[in-house]
Amino acid sequence: MIARVTSQTQMRSAQANLQASAQRLAQLQEQSSSLKTISRASDDPARAANALAVRAEQRATAQYTRNADNGNGWLTALDTALGASTTILTRARDLTVQGANAGTMTPAAREAIAVQIDGLKKDLLTQANTSYLGRTVFAGNSDAGKAFTTDYLHTAVSATGVERRVGADSTVRVDADGAAIFGNGTTSVFALLDTISVALRSTDPTVKVSDHLAAVDTALNTVIAANSDVGARQARIESATAALVAQKGTLEAQRVQLEDADLATVILDLKLQEIAYQSALAVTARVIQPTLMDFLS
Amino acid sequence: MSTFGGLNTAYSGLVAARAGLDVVGQNIANVNTEGYTRQRVTTSATNAAARAGLVAWGATPGAGVSVDGIARLGSATLDAKVRATASVAGYTAVRANALGSIETSLKEPGASGLSHQLQEFWAAWSELDNGTSASAATGLLLGEAGQLTAQISAGYRAVTDEWAAVRGSADALVTEVNGAAAQVGELNGIIRQTLASGGSANELIDKRDALTATIAAITGASVRAQANGTVDVLIGGNALVSGTDVQTLAVAGATTMPTGPDAAKPDNAVRVVWTHRPETVGVDGGELAGALSLLGPADADGTGGAIAEAAASYNDFAARLGNSVNNIHLGGVTSTGGPGGKFFTFDAGNAAATLSVVPKDATGIAAGAAGAGANNAANADKIAQLGAGRAVDAAGNPVTSPNAVWSAFVTKLGVDTGIELAQASSANLSASSAVTLALSNSSVDIDEENVNLLTFQHAYQGAARVMTAVDEMLDTLINRTGLVGR
Repeated sequence: MIARVTSQTQMRSAQANLQASAQRLAQLQEQSSSLKTISRASDDPARAANALAVRAEQRATAQYTRNADNGNGWLTALDTALGASTTILTRARDLTVQGANAGTMTPAAREAIAVQIDGLKKDLLTQANTSYLGRTVFAGNSDAGKAFTTDYLHTAVSATGVERRVGADSTVRVDADGAAIFGNGTTSVFALLDTISVALRSTDPTVKVSDHLAAVDTALNTVIAANSDVGARQARIESATAALVAQKGTLEAQRVQLEDADLATVILDLKLQEIAYQSALAVTARVIQPTLMDFLS
Repeated sequence: MSTFGGLNTAYSGLVAARAGLDVVGQNIANVNTEGYTRQRVTTSATNAAARAGLVAWGATPGAGVSVDGIARLGSATLDAKVRATASVAGYTAVRANALGSIETSLKEPGASGLSHQLQEFWAAWSELDNGTSASAATGLLLGEAGQLTAQISAGYRAVTDEWAAVRGSADALVTEVNGAAAQVGELNGIIRQTLASGGSANELIDKRDALTATIAAITGASVRAQANGTVDVLIGGNALVSGTDVQTLAVAGATTMPTGPDAAKPDNAVRVVWTHRPETVGVDGGELAGALSLLGPADADGTGGAIAEAAASYNDFAARLGNSVNNIHLGGVTSTGGPGGKFFTFDAGNAAATLSVVPKDATGIAAGAAGAGANNAANADKIAQLGAGRAVDAAGNPVTSPNAVWSAFVTKLGVDTGIELAQASSANLSASSAVTLALSNSSVDIDEENVNLLTFQHAYQGAARVMTAVDEMLDTLINRTGLVGR
C-alpha cells in the first residue's frame, strides 16, 4: 500500500522515532550510571538466576571464612595449650627421673622435687582448662566452664566434638577430647603426678618413684600425638581458608561478568546513540518545516 | 436553453468553487484536530434540460455543475484495523504493566532483594553454630529472621496491592466503556436524523469513530455499520450499542484478592456482566480482557491469573521455608535441654502474610543436637545447610533448598514478564503502524489543501469570467442590437 504522507503522519513518525531514540539513550544512560546490565529479572532471566546463585554462594563463602577464622582461633588455643603441656610433662619426667634416684637424696631434697611436681600439676590443670572466647577447648560442647574439675573429672557430656563448617560439604573438628589426652579422674595424668608426689614424700622403702616413669612417658606421648593431630587440623583449616579466599575472588569475577556492564562498551554505545539522537533532531527540524505556503505568493 | 442559461451555468460554477473553498477552509482549520477526517466536496455535471415539445433545439450544453455533497475520506477497513490492533495492544500493555510492577517489587537481583535477606538468614544460623557469643548470635539470628518474614510479607502485600490496583482499573475501564457507549448511542440517533434529512454528519461520524475506537481498545468490541448510518457495537457477539439502544456493563466479583478457599468460590471470580441480564460478558480483548486475565485465580498448573500465581508462589515459598526450617528445628534441643518447638508459624492457606518467628529469645532456639552438650549447635549448622542445598530430612532424603524455590519463582516471573513485554512492544508497534496507515489516509495534508485552494480559486475566477462574458454578450444583444444607421 502506498502511504499518503501528510504533515500529521510526518510529525507522528518524527515524534515516534525521536521517542524511540530518546528511550535507547535513557536506557544506555541508566546502564552507564548504574553499570548494571540486568537491573530486573526480565532483562535476562537465565543470567538473573545465575546471579542469584552466585550471590548466595558469595554470602555462604563469607560465612565459611568467618567459621574458619573462628576454628583457627580454637586450634591455635589448643596448639598453645598442648605445647605448654608437653613442656610441663617433659619437666615432670625429668623430675621423676631425678626423684627415682631414691638412695642418694635427702628427704628435704625429695620434698623439694615433690613441691615442684605439685606446681607442675597445677600448671598442667590450668592448660587443660584453657578456654577460647569463653569456651573450654578440651571440654567439647559442655557449658561447665572448665574441662577438668578439682577431682580431675572431665566435664564433657558426650564425645561429640566441636565442628566448624568451612565448606558446603566439609567441616573441621576444632576441639580436642580432654579425657583422651589427659585421662579422666583417678586414671588422669593429674592423678599420676599426685601419685608421684606422694611417692616422693613417702618413707616406705617399697614405694618406688621409678615405677611411674613409664606412665609419665605414655602421658607425654599422648599429649605430643594430640598436638601433632591439632597441627594437622590447623593446616587443613588454613588451606580451606586459602581456598575460600580464592573462591571469593572467582565468585566476584563471576558476579561482575553476570551483572555488571562493560563501561567501555556502554560509553561507546552511549556516544553513538547521542550522535544518532542529535542527527535525528537536526533532520527532523529541517524536514518538517517547509510547506507549499512558503513558496506561494 | 434560454438566453440567460449561460449565466446560470456560470453561477453554478461559482457556487461549486465556493463550496470547494469552504471545505478546504474546514480541512485547514482542522489540520491538527485529533480524529478529524479530511473531506472533499463532491460535484457532478448537470445535464442539459430535457426536451419538451416538437421543436428541435439542436445540441445543447449541460446546465453547469451541482454540489452533491461533502464526502468524508475515511476508510472503514483501516479504521477496523486500528480497532483490532488497539484491542491487542491494550490487552498486552495491561498485562506487561502489571507483571513489570510485580517484578520491580522483587528488587532482584540485588542487595535489596529477598534472596539477599535469605542468605543473611542462613549465615546467621551458621554464625550461631560458631557459638562464641550465644546471646549476640541469637540476637542476630532473631533480627535476620524478623527481617526475612517482614520482607516476605511486604513482597506478598505488593502482589495483593497490584491485584487491587488492577481490580480498580477494571472498574474504571467499565465506567469508561459505559460512558462511551452512551455517547455512541446518542450520536447514532443524531447521525441517522441528519443523514435522513440530507445533511452532512461527517464531524459527528469522526467523533463516533473515536468513541468506538476507545471501546474497542478497552473491550475488543467489533463495530458493524448499518445502512441508515448508525453503527452497532458488539462485545462477544452481543450488542452493547444497537442504533440508539445502549446496554451497560458492570464488574462483579471480589474487590480484594481472595485467599485460600475463597479464591475458588464462583462468586469471587472477577467478571464483567450485563446489568440488564445476569450473564457474563465474553470480553474478547482489550485492556479489560487483560485486566480480567490477570485477576483470575491460581491453578494447579501455574497457568492461572498472573497476579494470583505470583501470590501463590510467595505462599509456597513461605510455607516451604517455614516447614523445612521447622522440621530441622523440631529435632533439636534448646540451650536449657528442652526439645525444640517450631521456629516459624504460619497459616497453611496464607503463609506469606502470616509467617512469623516463634522464639522471642535465646531460650526458644533449638540450636543443639540432643545429648551433645549445652554448647552444641549442630542443629543450627543443619538449618544453615538448607541454604547450601545440602540439608537432608529425617529419612536421609535431600530437602529442596528454599533458595532454589525462590530462584525458580524469580526466574519464572522474569521469563513471563519478558514475554509479555516483548508481546506488548510488538502489539504496540502494529497498533501504531495501523494508526499511521489510517492517519495517512484520513489526515489533512496542508500542501494538498493549498493545491486545492488554488484549483478552486482558479475555478471561481474562471466561472466569474464566464459570467462577465455572458453579461457582455447580453449587453451587446440588448443595448447594441437594432441600432443600425442611428
